[in-house]
Amino acid sequence: MKVKVFAQSVLIGAGLLMVGLTPAQSQTREESQGMVLLRGLPTLDTKHSIAIVELDPESDQFGELLSEVEQPDIQHPLHHLYYSPNGRLYSTGLDPSCSLAEIGLSRDSSGTPVIEGFTCLDTQGQIVGEDIMWATSNGQEYMFVTFMGGTGGDDGGSVGVFDTQTNEVVKIIEARKSQVGEGEPYIMYPHGISAFDDRMVVTSTIHPDMATGVGNVLTIIDLNTLEPIQNIVVENEKPLDFPSSPVEVLFARPDMHADIEPAILANTMFGFETWKIPYDTGSKTFGEAEVIYSGVANETAVPLEFYGTEDELFISHGLPGVVKRYELAALPELVSSGPDIVADPGAHHMIFFTSASGRNLIAVQNNLLNLGNAADDDPTDVDFIADLSAHTITIHDLETGERIAEVNFKERYNKGVDNVEGLFGSGFVHHH
Amino acid sequence: MLRVFLTAAVAGVIAATTWVIWDRVRGPTATPIAGFSAPFVFGRFAVPPDNPLTEEAFALGRHLFYDPILSGNNQVSCATCHVQALAFTDGLAKSPALPGGELEFSSMSLTNLLWGQERFFWDGRATSLEAQALMPIQHPDEMDQDLGELVTELQASRDYRRMFRKAYGEISAENVTRALSTFMRMLISSDSKYDRFLRGKARLSEQEEHGRKLFMAHPDTKVSLRGGNCIDCHSQFLTSGFRDALDGFSNNGLDSDGDLPDGLMAVTGNPAHKGFFKVPTLRNIAVTAPYMHDGRFETLEEVMDHYNDGIVVSDTLSPLILEADNAPEAGQGTVGLRMTPDEVQSIIAFLHTLTDEDFLTNTQFSNPFEGDS
Repeated sequence: MKVKVFAQSVLIGAGLLMVGLTPAQSQTREESQGMVLLRGLPTLDTKHSIAIVELDPESDQFGELLSEVEQPDIQHPLHHLYYSPNGRLYSTGLDPSCSLAEIGLSRDSSGTPVIEGFTCLDTQGQIVGEDIMWATSNGQEYMFVTFMGGTGGDDGGSVGVFDTQTNEVVKIIEARKSQVGEGEPYIMYPHGISAFDDRMVVTSTIHPDMATGVGNVLTIIDLNTLEPIQNIVVENEKPLDFPSSPVEVLFARPDMHADIEPAILANTMFGFETWKIPYDTGSKTFGEAEVIYSGVANETAVPLEFYGTEDELFISHGLPGVVKRYELAALPELVSSGPDIVADPGAHHMIFFTSASGRNLIAVQNNLLNLGNAADDDPTDVDFIADLSAHTITIHDLETGERIAEVNFKERYNKGVDNVEGLFGSGFVHHH
Repeated sequence: MLRVFLTAAVAGVIAATTWVIWDRVRGPTATPIAGFSAPFVFGRFAVPPDNPLTEEAFALGRHLFYDPILSGNNQVSCATCHVQALAFTDGLAKSPALPGGELEFSSMSLTNLLWGQERFFWDGRATSLEAQALMPIQHPDEMDQDLGELVTELQASRDYRRMFRKAYGEISAENVTRALSTFMRMLISSDSKYDRFLRGKARLSEQEEHGRKLFMAHPDTKVSLRGGNCIDCHSQFLTSGFRDALDGFSNNGLDSDGDLPDGLMAVTGNPAHKGFFKVPTLRNIAVTAPYMHDGRFETLEEVMDHYNDGIVVSDTLSPLILEADNAPEAGQGTVGLRMTPDEVQSIIAFLHTLTDEDFLTNTQFSNPFEGDS
């Protein structure tokens, strides 16, 4: 009896295997499915959208949009993507009507990732959302969002403090240069944000209209009081004869790597430099700001983003379109860890992932300021960056930097690509 | 007038007869599960391509799950040892064996099986849900059913003939296991207080939040980080074991080398896997006592006492458990987390937030042979 029973079991088990019922064999990989924010190009009659794109060159679906939700009613597209520590996906946005949004993700009954839609959040008048960071103030975690336009005006700019559960505004951190006393710390056009212990840093980048004003300082915020306490000027060379326009910032800290001495790193968009400002944890004071990378000397321009892996730091440079790489453990010094990854003009955001065969890859999104192209008579075109919107995501071998493939969104979808810095996954995130 | 009436009646009979014949000869229907939406934070999942989640397969699987026809004596169903109100466990340390005595292991919870480790049973002896489903049916100590006899019995039922026809086309042992797998895959628990917290729809109490933070932290005295070390084995959102390779199995320090059962080693033959058992989901853990593969702990307090101060060292003990110590300077007489009583109670409070009342009472998962279900 037992022999019969177990013989049947073996036979049926073998049968199941033969017809391919093992879930592992039918596994759909998600390690290479990137979340992208796409910009509709007015002259090509396309709409802004949020999409999931397959980025593994080894996949038959490479370059395909697996799910897409359009934003037909929003003039300017969403801008940055962040997963919260609890796995909720947020996006900042350039449109005043949707400067911050939560994106709904799910899976259908086949397991296929689905973008359900997005909900624009009430920012209490704060506009042009940029970066998000979750940090703690007096033991309570909040979502901090930089709004480059703040609540409006020529010297606007704010850091919105949001309840992590309800998404409600808890506080707006504002300090207009025109309203604070002479020499008092101000916040203006904030974009980059980072934090360590009870100190937060935001940058002063550029007025959202890109004409009214440009910043050149970092602002330190005391996370105990949620008030600005110090400005630090980061300006040296002026290759464009503009203020330096610090953009992204990284507070290098020991929890990134035990060997790191705390310091702020800041990229200046128009100064083409990377700055270092040492931080003394004992006295809670910052040392003298110094240039540790010169774009003029190294023939690169428009340094933008910081991203990290377990052992490397990556910095994108819009011109000529490269990603430089450094040893994480050596921070805050920039010690090269390998040759440049040569992407396309406008090299900007990036993600790291693996191919189906296990190859470590990096995908770089190449659109500088995410604007249109003069050749399309695009009304959003700005001459300075007209040639810096390749509209591509380039895929490279992470170890060698070798360029393996590219997706040209303009050619394939008549859209620009504004962002790729997250995968469809369980709280996976790459930024700052 | 009469002619019109008769013509209409004949047409009606012909139409009804045609429909009945067509319904009996047509192929299976594959109606996608209505309103299916899985939380993306649970991670990826895959359903076998030839056993997609359909309404027809789910309905059939649900009936089979609750039907004692699956057992040799027609008295034991899957639900005998997997009770919905107990998150599909049975509340016993070890389930009773059919010939008398008890089974080797405690009944496992059937929750969120779409995700996590793809080996099933405490010792991982089944490599797919479909393979798993047939084992208890045939096991002499569990349901002791001959599959050929089961198919014959099912074929004698008009209801099952109809349901199998709709779901798969024919009655077979393979389709029994497919249907049971579909039902089990649909046992999704995603509306606990913790889930609502993750969605921003609920707040945890101060104690629950403290417990959540401890749950998610591996203790590190160098940076004064206190932790319950739970997440090293129980993933952040699913709270089950990890999916990749055999990461979802562990020796969690229950027995010494001399008493260590084979566990996963019985399947892999690898001595390094001796004493490894599947890391279970902690979803609805407050209602699934007793705990561990052999049900040795009656309460969550006993479980926490084990991890806090009662780890038994053996050759294959998880190094993540061995090195997790919040107070290494407190003496080396015992191995454990050495958390404070408040911290222990906080973790237990958090574990209670994993109870999903909707899951435990959802009529879609209940016995279809009872009431109006």
